[in-house]
Amino acid sequence: MSEMMYKSSGTLVLKGKKIRGELVASETSAIFTGKKNTTIEMPYPEIEVLKNVRNGDMASTITVKMKSGEEYVFMLPTGLKVYHYMDKMWDNKPRVRSRAEELHRLAEMRGERIVKPKKHLIKRRHPNRSIGGDIGIYIMLAVVAFAMAFPLIFAIGSALKPLDELFRFPPTVLPKHPTLDNFSDLIVTMGQSWVPFTRYITNTVFITAVGTFGHLIIASMAAFVLAKYDFPGGRLFFNIVTTALMFSGYVTGIPNYVIMSKLGMIDTYWALLLPAFAAPIGLFMMKQFMEGLPTALIEAAHIDGASEFRIFWSIVMPNVKPAWLTVIIFSVQSLWNNAAGTIIYSEAKKPLVYALQQILAGGVARAGQGAAVTVVVMAVPILIFILSQSQILETMASSGIKD
Amino acid sequence: MSNTQLGFTRRYLAMKGDMFRYNMAKAKRMKVCYLFLAPYALLFITFFILPICTSIFYGFTYYNILEPARFVGLQNYINLVLQDEVFLTSVKNTFVIAVITGPLGYILSFLFAWFINELPKWLRAIAVVIFYAPSIAGTAYSIFSIIFRGDAYGYLNSFLLNLGFIDAPILWLTDPNYIMTVLIIVILWMSMGTGFLSFVAGFQGIDKSMYEAGYVDGVRNRWQELYHITLPSMKPMLLFGAVMSITSAFNVCDVPRALAGYPSTDYAARTVVTHLFDYGFSRFEMGYASAIATLLFLVMILCKKVISAALEKVGT
Repeated sequence: MSEMMYKSSGTLVLKGKKIRGELVASETSAIFTGKKNTTIEMPYPEIEVLKNVRNGDMASTITVKMKSGEEYVFMLPTGLKVYHYMDKMWDNKPRVRSRAEELHRLAEMRGERIVKPKKHLIKRRHPNRSIGGDIGIYIMLAVVAFAMAFPLIFAIGSALKPLDELFRFPPTVLPKHPTLDNFSDLIVTMGQSWVPFTRYITNTVFITAVGTFGHLIIASMAAFVLAKYDFPGGRLFFNIVTTALMFSGYVTGIPNYVIMSKLGMIDTYWALLLPAFAAPIGLFMMKQFMEGLPTALIEAAHIDGASEFRIFWSIVMPNVKPAWLTVIIFSVQSLWNNAAGTIIYSEAKKPLVYALQQILAGGVARAGQGAAVTVVVMAVPILIFILSQSQILETMASSGIKD
Repeated sequence: MSNTQLGFTRRYLAMKGDMFRYNMAKAKRMKVCYLFLAPYALLFITFFILPICTSIFYGFTYYNILEPARFVGLQNYINLVLQDEVFLTSVKNTFVIAVITGPLGYILSFLFAWFINELPKWLRAIAVVIFYAPSIAGTAYSIFSIIFRGDAYGYLNSFLLNLGFIDAPILWLTDPNYIMTVLIIVILWMSMGTGFLSFVAGFQGIDKSMYEAGYVDGVRNRWQELYHITLPSMKPMLLFGAVMSITSAFNVCDVPRALAGYPSTDYAARTVVTHLFDYGFSRFEMGYASAIATLLFLVMILCKKVISAALEKVGT
């Protein structure tokens, strides 16, 4: 028999008499079979009231009142499951009223006027945020986001246009017949360049990788002592670095050129790498983030006898990984976009962006390839940012300048 | 000098001497710190501090790399202000660009970071990418030379021609009347940079219980919440963002060179930095260019001082 059923032995109290027996609850009805041939069948649709008083543990007293008026009281030592099953199967169970409904009913009985709350189509997010304001902000964000994205979409669209569509009047944003011709043309043009094109790519990858790695290590070392030790001159040095955030490459460009030519570094990668190692923004971000590390961590290592370098390398560095990514993206961004027009003049040492800009300068004849170049150049930093956004934001949270 | 004054001076000097000895002793104890700082400090001083110092020095000389520098006193500065009309144009242009894009870019970065902060999480991630992308997109601004192209194939021109607003294409990038407006639009487009990211991160870092406390204390709408709760807790980010805005507003160079040409019509798009670039790398008048760099640098430092003083008063 696959039928679900629960049973419990116990006592039936009927008109003052007690009858021992067994109550069985099946899918359609509950049946009590007791001594003296008493059999009481209680089909669920016939039940009017079903009540239960728990007597602790599984013991319960179930009161059943039938529609025909009979009333049975069962005292069952292990009847809780039986009751739950009966309650589940019981058909015309009266709906349980909520407190609000009860108050509502009482108010209606007293004859008070009931004000029903208005139903809002959109709910407020928070009591002090107006809905109108929210909608306004969403619309504005959507419009501005479109305006921000439009030139980038336009660039991608142009890169995918075949040549005849590039000069169609009126110009369109998205190509009708998208093609990758511009990219394959770009590769052809690259193949014809005087210096093999792979050379430019190797140069850029080398500069970006070495520059970023060196910057990460050197800036982290300095940031570590500036953030975690109070030594004479440290604070002054950091204030100078904060001011140096404002130096752009152009303001320092001329004296830098003079200094580099004195050091004999013109037309070598050192002229690009060494300033990149000392970029103020990386040190700044790293130091601000490292200040959040608990000092106790470092003190504990001191007590254990670890050297400063060991503390830096195996305790501090693994704990600031989000800051690594931020430093890396800032560094990659500036090195990747650095065309180095003024300090490197050997064609074989030029970076990729420089070569691409030459194609871009090719004018109308190379408009399609130019658009493809723009897309290639912008794709790298944006992709890195998309992949590391959450870690970067974690670092930026500690980026503020405290006066 | 009276006796008491002398006494004070002596005590002051003695105190300074003590401080110095104390610091030296401390420095000796913490030698390893300097060891850690040394590689960075060496490079930083060589490529960031020394250039500023040499820039100030060369500002007082005539120097063209080939001949040794010749001291000319204030002649460079006098020429800049009294003789060089192009410099005055460039100062005017830079000033216009800085005054409009600096504060506006700053305020817009803040406002949009704030609005974005109210979005659901997944939408926020997308919005941050869209707003931040233009500033890291490398040479993507060059696409504006197609959008604003002077003939009818330019996107904006054909759009306006089709709608019937104009009869003939407008030379957006060569007509001095329009160049500045176009430049300002492009620079604003690129202004959601590092400062914007800092704001987005700052908003996420604010303690949520402060807002609830504020609500209980009677903060009725978002603007009150912004002024009384959000702004005071964002002060460090606001200063950082301001430094970034000043830097980008005063150092406009690549965008006008790429869009308006170099040199631009009637120098209408010449900025201080393009002027500096012209003298430094095209004419090799390094002394003159250094004088420009020194002036620019002084103005930027001054701006930072003014802004950090102003931010002290925010939200109190």
